[in-house]
Amino acid sequence: MSLLEARSITKTFPGVVALDAVDLTFERGEVHCIVGENGAGKSTLVKTLTGIYKPDGGTLHHDGKERPAIGYVPQELNLFDHMTVAENMFLPLGHSGSDTFLFHRREIEKSAVPFMERLKMTCAPNDCVRDISVAEKQLLQIARALASNSSDIIILDEPTASLTKSEIERLFVIIEELQASGVAIVFITHRLDEVMRLHSVVSVLRNGKVVGNSDGERVSEAWIVEKMTGKDMDLSNLYRPRTERGARVVRVEGLSGDGFEDISFDLHQGEVLGFAGLVGAGRSEILQTLFGIRKKRTGLAWFRDERWNFGKPPWSIARGIIYLPEERKSHGIFPHLSVRQNIGVGLLRDIAQGGIVRDGRERELAKSIIGDYQVKTASAETKIMNLSGGNQQKVLIGRSLMAQPNVMIFDEPTRGIDVNAKDEIYQLMQKIAEEQGIAIVLVSSEIEELIKCSNRVLSIYDGRINDEISGDDLTEERLLSSIINAPTQTGAQASIKEENHV
Amino acid sequence: MSDSALNAMKSRRPNFAGAGQVFGVLGVLILICVVASFVAPQFMTSYNMTIISRELAFIGMVAIGQGILLLLGDIDVSIGAIAGLAGIVCTKLLVDVEVDPIFAITAGLIVGAMAGAVNGTIITFFNLNSLVVTIGMLSVYSGLNLWITKGRTIVGLSPEVTFLGGGSFFGLPLPMYFMLAAFVVILFVTTKTIYGRRLYAVGNSREAAKIVGINEKRVRITAYAIAGALAGLAGMLLCFRLVSAQASMGQSWLLPSIAAPVIGGIATTGGIGTIWGALIGAAIIAVIGNVIVLGGVNVYLQQVVTGLIVVVAVAFDAISRRMRQD
Repeated sequence: MSLLEARSITKTFPGVVALDAVDLTFERGEVHCIVGENGAGKSTLVKTLTGIYKPDGGTLHHDGKERPAIGYVPQELNLFDHMTVAENMFLPLGHSGSDTFLFHRREIEKSAVPFMERLKMTCAPNDCVRDISVAEKQLLQIARALASNSSDIIILDEPTASLTKSEIERLFVIIEELQASGVAIVFITHRLDEVMRLHSVVSVLRNGKVVGNSDGERVSEAWIVEKMTGKDMDLSNLYRPRTERGARVVRVEGLSGDGFEDISFDLHQGEVLGFAGLVGAGRSEILQTLFGIRKKRTGLAWFRDERWNFGKPPWSIARGIIYLPEERKSHGIFPHLSVRQNIGVGLLRDIAQGGIVRDGRERELAKSIIGDYQVKTASAETKIMNLSGGNQQKVLIGRSLMAQPNVMIFDEPTRGIDVNAKDEIYQLMQKIAEEQGIAIVLVSSEIEELIKCSNRVLSIYDGRINDEISGDDLTEERLLSSIINAPTQTGAQASIKEENHV
Repeated sequence: MSDSALNAMKSRRPNFAGAGQVFGVLGVLILICVVASFVAPQFMTSYNMTIISRELAFIGMVAIGQGILLLLGDIDVSIGAIAGLAGIVCTKLLVDVEVDPIFAITAGLIVGAMAGAVNGTIITFFNLNSLVVTIGMLSVYSGLNLWITKGRTIVGLSPEVTFLGGGSFFGLPLPMYFMLAAFVVILFVTTKTIYGRRLYAVGNSREAAKIVGINEKRVRITAYAIAGALAGLAGMLLCFRLVSAQASMGQSWLLPSIAAPVIGGIATTGGIGTIWGALIGAAIIAVIGNVIVLGGVNVYLQQVVTGLIVVVAVAFDAISRRMRQD
């Protein structure tokens, strides 16, 4: 009998099957690694296991009388910075026999000690969390999970993202000790070397299905990559621009900033250049720095033959460089303004004369954008927040194109957009690259999207360019391997890397 | 009628979000007036209307200025002290230095605009909370007012200027004309100019505004300066009306300056509402203040009643907004 068993768990959201008849078992004293791409269903699985989501189908079985207690350690640090280690461990306080009215600082600091010793934490219970290291914070989150409900299962969601090598090793030793004491560990990660290191059971998720399970056998990195990529990607429709690329418009050399180091690349007219990478790899940061809304540290760039003026969005906009942000709702649209006004705000010079806005001109532009891009809206006067994500995106793209841009940076252009609208946006990118020679940068977490739309892809790992892939080499396996920094079976990536170093 | 003319008529929908709400608030204003005229027969007399419009002239000016800031998601609680500062400087120039009235009034407007711009600059350049900064600046400007006046009342303004505050034209007090002129100008600026569009854009989303190349700091500092200049105008006119200047002038304008735009549908979070709302909100406050007096409410309770009405109005607005969204 197992500690917890998921039997054909299914969870659907409008338009997506997030989990499709997932079977998984979790045993006492076992480390169970869950791997999968972005959007494979990992977070939905975690939320279903912890009870945040109710599954649409399937059941969770357990052998004991009571449901095993599950402690979840989220990826982002989730602590109260200005409170002490002990307070963080026992919040919201008032449970497990402690005084329900008075707060006894000494008492909770004393009860924190055994947990801290168990996790080999070096800070003191009365240290302020703000002052302890990231690794200690990560351990504190685990301690909290153990302290709050003496968890039988601990879920660690990419716990190593912000840790150094030695800190990771320390975490792994602690995981092994927890394992030896009978705790089941669920370890969610993108890093295959960690999976190998943990000698664990491995389950691979893909499109909401468990496509691979190690069943206790030792597995290789190649096996995991093969399972993660699968064979079911529909590449019958490619949207890569088919015309010859034109002159170079942007050249970047040795650009470094917050979250990325030493980035160099060229961008040509009429091509789609993809930026691949895990969430947090530094892709958006690179392009936001180039556009001017983030500060650079070092590096140079040129627009055609002109030296780049960093940190000034108006400079970039004047050269026809347009950035369509990832956070469309908070950074892209002006929610309470109408579709027409959202369009006008980006084109004020075109619609105004002597500082005065001509409503008629603005209305014309809005009408033509709504018509040209088939924006579904009741009228041009509808508040843009009432449109669907795909239609909002079309308004923003249409507005950008009105300004006759040279470079368009699409940051996750299809996030939260339904399948049909996705295809329309892909077609549009292809069309403007081919017909107007616009240079397009596509930042995306979706491998399929990058392969379908890009002529070339730069894959970013840990803030650096890990690989450049173009043309026929642009396959799912090659791209995925470079995103998660795994060696490929063919060794193609390694040879390219060597070439680059020569 | 041709099709295009018909379409043009159809497209004459409210220009900005929250504009439709103005009609609702206008309805409330009319309702209050109707009820008041039944309860207090003296309400609808021309004498009483003059009293109301004098009150409305002053709070209208500060409410319009504050309304611009609220549209940006900003606020300036030192606006009353700025009004006092401009009035005191102007009066001092006229009485002690005996400068030309045009010069003194221009100086007062500049003082108001500068005081506002200082607030805006501190807030935007150090990225600080506007409420906290302007609470501090409220103390700074009030202190300056006390220091300049040495706590005394400055008297001796000549009739040359005092008629601007106390005179009437076609039965309406002159300050009312100044307020209406300010309203028309600001309404035009906010709805028809590039600056107005940028103002609404920044109020909706500072991040998105940056991405389309708007210098959000400049837009915000300009708005603080406009609000300061309007407060300065109100402060000077009050001095002219009172034929004197003193440090505490304008202190009572803070509550109406914020309450009027909010009652009129300008959300404190920014980006929603129109300057019409600030005007009508100010009218509602002026009328209610008058009705309380006519109704014979205990003098000491008047503040309690005004405050409660504001809170109820704001809560009502928030609830109805939420219900419309559901």
